[in-house]
Amino acid sequence: MRRRLCIPDLGSARAVILHRPHTVVTALTRQLQAVGLQVECFWPELPAVARAADYLFIDVDTAHDDQFPWAPGEAPLPTIALIGSEAPGRIEWLMNFGADAQILKPVGDNGVYSALLIARATFDARIGLAGEIDTLRRRLGQRQTVVQAVAVLAARGKSETEAYEQLRGMAMAWRVSFEEAAARIMSSVNGPRDTRTNKGSDLG
Amino acid sequence: MTRIIDLGLLFSTTGPYELMGRASRAGALKAIAQVNADPERDIFFKSVERDPGGDIDAYAPLCEEILNNSSARHVIGCTTSWSRKEIIPSLERMGGVLWYPTPYEGFEASDRVVYAHACPNQHLLPLLDHCFGSYGKRIYLTGSNYIWGWEMNRIARELSGRNGAEVLGERYVPIGSTDIERLVDEIAVLKPDFVLNQLIGPSQYAFLDAMAALRSRDPAFAGRRCPVLSCNLTEAELPALGASTEGVISAGPWFRGLAPALPGNEGRQDFGSSFEAAAHASVMMLARLLADTAGAEDLSLPELLALPGAETLGISARTHHVTLPVAIAEVRNGVFIPVKTYAPIEGDPYLTQIHTSVAQPLLRVVK
Repeated sequence: MRRRLCIPDLGSARAVILHRPHTVVTALTRQLQAVGLQVECFWPELPAVARAADYLFIDVDTAHDDQFPWAPGEAPLPTIALIGSEAPGRIEWLMNFGADAQILKPVGDNGVYSALLIARATFDARIGLAGEIDTLRRRLGQRQTVVQAVAVLAARGKSETEAYEQLRGMAMAWRVSFEEAAARIMSSVNGPRDTRTNKGSDLG
Repeated sequence: MTRIIDLGLLFSTTGPYELMGRASRAGALKAIAQVNADPERDIFFKSVERDPGGDIDAYAPLCEEILNNSSARHVIGCTTSWSRKEIIPSLERMGGVLWYPTPYEGFEASDRVVYAHACPNQHLLPLLDHCFGSYGKRIYLTGSNYIWGWEMNRIARELSGRNGAEVLGERYVPIGSTDIERLVDEIAVLKPDFVLNQLIGPSQYAFLDAMAALRSRDPAFAGRRCPVLSCNLTEAELPALGASTEGVISAGPWFRGLAPALPGNEGRQDFGSSFEAAAHASVMMLARLLADTAGAEDLSLPELLALPGAETLGISARTHHVTLPVAIAEVRNGVFIPVKTYAPIEGDPYLTQIHTSVAQPLLRVVK
């Protein structure tokens, strides 16, 4: 499938650079400003406000987990790795921390614009996939509920296939997922008991 | 005391885009003569010239030759983006600066280059805006198979989406190919409101000939219906094209007859085309930056642009793009006739700023 690049709105975007004062930062800042972004530099700690930025540049040569107010792999914004040393240990750290694009140091006259586009597209795809995986996991987790709901319907004198079709029909009529329809049936069956249980535990 | 300063010139005066290269070269030479004849200036330019002859692989070595064999730090040169991108690494390595005086597709802001002609917000955006309003929103895109055509048409597709326009077709032709029958056949069937043409050299010439033939045999294309648009056709190429250019609509910073020309021309407008005018303006702007400051010839481009008064030249210290007027002109009886002009706008290579083009009354047309 051909992917059409959605160009992000960079004119009002904010970039944060986590790197000690250095010519790398000067070159990066120049390129970012030429594209139209606002730039802020931090060192050695990344404050929590950095979460609100649109792009983050990190120095893989010196970075360590404690610098970031989030767990490895959970960066809340597109992250671009500035790679100097190609020592495998540093690359391993980067693989764990996660980045959406990379630029090799020294940073020269170009390379930032394409990194911004790639980082944004990769980040958005990553977030989209994570959401999709969440949904699939949830549905997988509800398999047991589906089996139970089909059994409940079948107990009313239908074959298993008919019960399955009936559940599908209900899901369509209610405009919900198959799993959600199954959950509704089970809660209508178990409902009163569930409520009592909850009340009981609340009181307890 | 007058300082003698070497100045590189790197244009192809032969090859597929020789007419453009020659126009740029003529503008640069005109400015050098003007600077050197001015007793008020404390600088004298000595040109150090190399001619790549349209050979892409000759640009970087010849640029390095200029920077190695003379004291020149500034080079006025290149017609295509491809050649410009070829020499940027040499400029970086050897501390040179390129003044690039031809239109291009944007998405670059080298610390080593001044972009002295128009980028898309100064040619393509106003041109499409004008034509969506005047001709319609069913469009066809074509171009030569390389970065200029690809990127310009990508921008056009994006703008079409935003303006409710429909792209009926998009087709590319290899550089130098004159095999454009299929392209014109498709246009004849689709009957778009206009064709955005990013073809270059012989392909463009063959295409315009075939479109002229189509106009004479199909009434749906007769008269001023379905015009062909260009963002780089200027007076420099008209003589090579003849009658087939009739009705072509082009955008650029200046066309003959408009006054004043570019801000950097300092009031002069005796140019054959905007290629010539932008090259002239490049040398004149450089002369302004170097004059009256001993040792300025050894400063980097950012340092030069930080000198007092430099901002009045209209070269953005942020992007190194030049603020330019915008004109839209149509070929009538073999001559570009300006139909619309816009107030000067800052070059926005990454299209990240808000664009509101302010049409202004047609600038004074000089006889």
